[in-house]
Amino acid sequence: MMLNKRKTLQQILEDWRKNEHVAYWHTIPEREAETVPFPLSLHPRLKQALTQRGISALYTHQKEAYEAVEVRKNIVTVTPTASGKTLCYNLPILQAMLHHPEARALYIFPTKALAQDQKSALNELIHELESTIYCDTYDGDTSPTIRQKIRKAGNIVITNPDMLHSGILPHHTKWVALFENLRFVVIDELHTYRGVFGSHVANVIRRLKRICQFYGSNPQFICTSATIANPKELAETLTGCRMTLIDQNGAPAGKKHVIFYNPPVVNQALNIRKSATLAAKELAAELLKNSIQTIVFAKSRVRVELLLSYLKQLVKYEFGEQSIRAYRGGYLPSERRAIEKGLRNGEIVGVVSTNALELGVDIGQLQACIITGYPGTIASTWQQAGRAGRRQEESVVVIVASSSPLDQYIIQHPSYVLEKSPETARINPNNLVILADHLKCAAFELPFRREETFDGVEVVDILEFLADERVLYQKGEKWYWMSDSFPAHTISLRSASQENVIIIDISETGAHRVIGEMDRFSAMTLLHEEAIYLHQGIQYQVETLDWEEKKAYVRQVDVEYFTDANLAVELKVLEEDRKRKTAFAEIGFGDVMVLAKATIFKKLKLETHENIGSGPIYLPEEELHTNAVWISLTGESLGGEWSEGRLEQGLLGVAHALQYVAPLFVMCDPSDLHVVAQVKAVHNEQPTIFFYDRYPGGIGLSEALYSVMEQVITEAKQLLERCQCESGCPSCIGLDVSSNHAKRDALRLMGALIERRMEQDVD
Amino acid sequence: MSIKQKLARLKGHISTQPSVKRQQEENAIPYLEQWRAWNAEPFYFDGDYCLVREVVYSLDDYHGNYRLGDLHDVHRLWQTTPLSHPLSSKGHEVSDLFFFDTETTGLGSGTGNTIFLLGHARVYDDRVIVRQHILPHPGAEIALYQSFLSEVDYTTLVTYNGKAFDWPVVQTRHTLIRDALPHLPSFGHFDLYHASRRIWKQRLSSVRLAYVEKEILGVERKEDIPGFLAPMMYFEFLSTKHPETLVGVLKHNEMDVLSLIVLYIHLSKQILQAEEIDHATEKLEMARWFDTLGEVTEAKKVYEQVAESSRHEAMQAKWNLSLIYKKEKNYSKAIAIWEELFLTGQGRWKIEAAIELAKLYEHRFRDPKKAYHYAEEAYRLQKTLGRLSGQSVEEIKKRLDRLMRKITQ
Repeated sequence: MMLNKRKTLQQILEDWRKNEHVAYWHTIPEREAETVPFPLSLHPRLKQALTQRGISALYTHQKEAYEAVEVRKNIVTVTPTASGKTLCYNLPILQAMLHHPEARALYIFPTKALAQDQKSALNELIHELESTIYCDTYDGDTSPTIRQKIRKAGNIVITNPDMLHSGILPHHTKWVALFENLRFVVIDELHTYRGVFGSHVANVIRRLKRICQFYGSNPQFICTSATIANPKELAETLTGCRMTLIDQNGAPAGKKHVIFYNPPVVNQALNIRKSATLAAKELAAELLKNSIQTIVFAKSRVRVELLLSYLKQLVKYEFGEQSIRAYRGGYLPSERRAIEKGLRNGEIVGVVSTNALELGVDIGQLQACIITGYPGTIASTWQQAGRAGRRQEESVVVIVASSSPLDQYIIQHPSYVLEKSPETARINPNNLVILADHLKCAAFELPFRREETFDGVEVVDILEFLADERVLYQKGEKWYWMSDSFPAHTISLRSASQENVIIIDISETGAHRVIGEMDRFSAMTLLHEEAIYLHQGIQYQVETLDWEEKKAYVRQVDVEYFTDANLAVELKVLEEDRKRKTAFAEIGFGDVMVLAKATIFKKLKLETHENIGSGPIYLPEEELHTNAVWISLTGESLGGEWSEGRLEQGLLGVAHALQYVAPLFVMCDPSDLHVVAQVKAVHNEQPTIFFYDRYPGGIGLSEALYSVMEQVITEAKQLLERCQCESGCPSCIGLDVSSNHAKRDALRLMGALIERRMEQDVD
Repeated sequence: MSIKQKLARLKGHISTQPSVKRQQEENAIPYLEQWRAWNAEPFYFDGDYCLVREVVYSLDDYHGNYRLGDLHDVHRLWQTTPLSHPLSSKGHEVSDLFFFDTETTGLGSGTGNTIFLLGHARVYDDRVIVRQHILPHPGAEIALYQSFLSEVDYTTLVTYNGKAFDWPVVQTRHTLIRDALPHLPSFGHFDLYHASRRIWKQRLSSVRLAYVEKEILGVERKEDIPGFLAPMMYFEFLSTKHPETLVGVLKHNEMDVLSLIVLYIHLSKQILQAEEIDHATEKLEMARWFDTLGEVTEAKKVYEQVAESSRHEAMQAKWNLSLIYKKEKNYSKAIAIWEELFLTGQGRWKIEAAIELAKLYEHRFRDPKKAYHYAEEAYRLQKTLGRLSGQSVEEIKKRLDRLMRKITQ
């Protein structure tokens, strides 16, 4: 029989053990399930419904969650995929509703798709309970008649933060039944609420709590998160409530192998390795040929397509083309369910996916996972790796490195991924711009009293400011909304400042559609005319940028290059809040003003980063007040041989490397944090490197860097040291550097910056 | 850096729409004498106050083409008519009708949209009273709604789009302060906007109250403040406190509620004396309204009148009439109309009539040949004239094929 010829996963792994390109092999031992009987208090109907679904006991973390919620604790659970996390909230909530039919719950999911998934799963369970609990989604797609019904009678209302912000809270008087009886708020996928988005959502939660208080309810919060370094802290900042952390996972797991694979060098002279995509497809082919269910992650949609067509070709005769599927963001629930079903019944052996799959969608568990290129953060690496590994069986995860310095760094330091704690998710709900925006919405919802705080935050100063600016009206000890506008409509949670540039795809005549938006500051360098804008892996070229109207018209293209715009930045320190010294450097943190003007852009070849053209950008100067952290070399550290030009080249090199590394430390998108080098900073006349938050007022990124500055520079230094180029290449010290000794200089500068001595704080 | 300094720096990033100047808290009611000169008196409640303005009109005063006292006449007519109609005041007292309109600080339905003026008019046996409850500052809503809810006793609201706008906003504001207020009762509701839309949508380019007033009711407003400026006038009033800034809005609202009275009079007359409507489109729409309400006798009467006219509305009226006959199984009358439409009508009517005749001859009179004749005609017309009737060419073709089978069997 055919099957006999097929190798088992174990046999393949044995072969791979001998493979010279495997740089590191790590084995995570299997773990037994830790189960406990159903709690005694569990409602008999719930018990019965669970038994019908073949569940006869709970995992320890599920029971722990159940018991904590029962005694009115707020909880955050951190458990890997497929560990039954939804029962952590559904169980105690359904239990409460069986006893108190009037009780209500609000479920918040970051996307509509996740909300849909959850609704169908939950309704199946409710159906088996033979209960009248009414559960439905409330979002932009909900029809008016259903809306009315949910408002009046929805026991479980499933929504997203944007809808809560602009569709529910400003209309709270229509939701009296919900707010009077709100017992639970579930925040799923907590880790997605970070950065600007998270800071906005934290303020939406503050508004939610304020409305609940008005109607006399005090809901419990139940959050679930993927593995991040600070789930408890994030949940507490986001909800403003004390949290109990539940992270002892009781779900079983099979043995898991994590393999770091470094493709061979194919061009010795240029130090270029075989492409990660090619290597990944060979590895995937080996698995798929042997009928081992595999998921392959690729960074862009283009690569997904490449891998897909190759792999389809490969298995065409054996399993049929439909056995390999692509998985992209924006799929309809029905399409996703078809894939899930195919995987379960074995019709589908392989899935090729972009990072879109990271987000909580349950496609079941596969035997093998191939990650093409380091995903950028430890947290997402583990999330992708979590896709492989059934409860009982052995599984394998292969991380295939690309030639990029970061990937090579990871290959050389597998412990970075394996041992370091994943990144910290940061939010700053007290960013003044964000806070002021939500205070406007809050005042629209209910007038503010002087003695009132905004979930503990003193806001009288801001209210007075808003009254001075004639947005609010103060009468006695109260502030009233007194304007004919609707504030929530002009405030978007998903992006930075209010005046965003709308991105409109005009590829199809007559079917123009908005595909995204971007803050003004970023738009200068990413959406200028002729820029290549990447959206979900698709290339678009900006045809027109209407700066007055804040609209960018883009058209889909297929080109071999990307664009990189030059931003001339002038940076002034307005106030130094914190300062400390190292041997030869000074590290500061405070408020800065950034004046930026986009000047020119270059077209760079995708693979080689070769400059193949350039053009001017005509846009006005932008001003940004934000937080920054900076590190300056103090005079005595450098010898006299450093000319200004040489220093500049060196600093540019350092800045380039830091731009790669710093976002790793603060878990943010590289475009949220900017690095600027100055030979002579205005405030102290020293050679200085600045890191500033790209959002007005700052969202805590640079602040987080303040304490780990030396570490960040150390990592960047190692990155440069390990880069195999001789005197600097585009992927270590960047393109703006031309001198031969720039790489050495950059290394020397970094060495000086982190030289140790007795540190002293001069706060 | 202090928060205030930071805010000053970030000013450009925090969008600020001007609203009103902050005010010192005051003990006395500012400009009370001026308020009194404008017939307004304070209403005190729970440490705060609102202002209530009252204006009395005589039943013989005219507003546009009608005498305000005409409401008594149409009310009497409603009591005796056999007609059942959503605008009927049968069973109510004249003074139960509560002509109601609000002015708000915004247009949306969100919680932050505040009502600063609740105006209403009622017609009594000897006079008409317009009363306006005015919010002197945002904190005084409890006093405002207390005065509104306690001074009035009524059962039926008459509004212009109040179902979708004014009343939901009242409910929202009431919910916010409901602990301090009496329960908000539920009322009957006559929304004249829906009636106006039904009858004048075809005829008028807009059915905003101001336009209906001018075109239909003969109301001329002098020095009127357009409604959309009302929020701005109110914000201005909040900073000056002088009643003069608000007078324009008060007059505007007063005109609005008076217009509601005469609009109700006018609509009632149109409904109760539909045969006397001159305008053909309007008359047709009125007949249609009776038709949808199930008032078949009345509908037939009015359709027949339109059908007899020489206007192009006659076709539509005939067609609608024929459908009533069909429903009543009065086939001879229906056939008479269809044959007439088929022979003398044009375009759509000809096709529709042919199809109806084909259906009737096929199913009712089992005469496939005759049916085929009409269907064939319909098919030909439909093909040459394009998609005019509701039936597609394919559907008619299917009918033809079926009839052909029946004939040849």
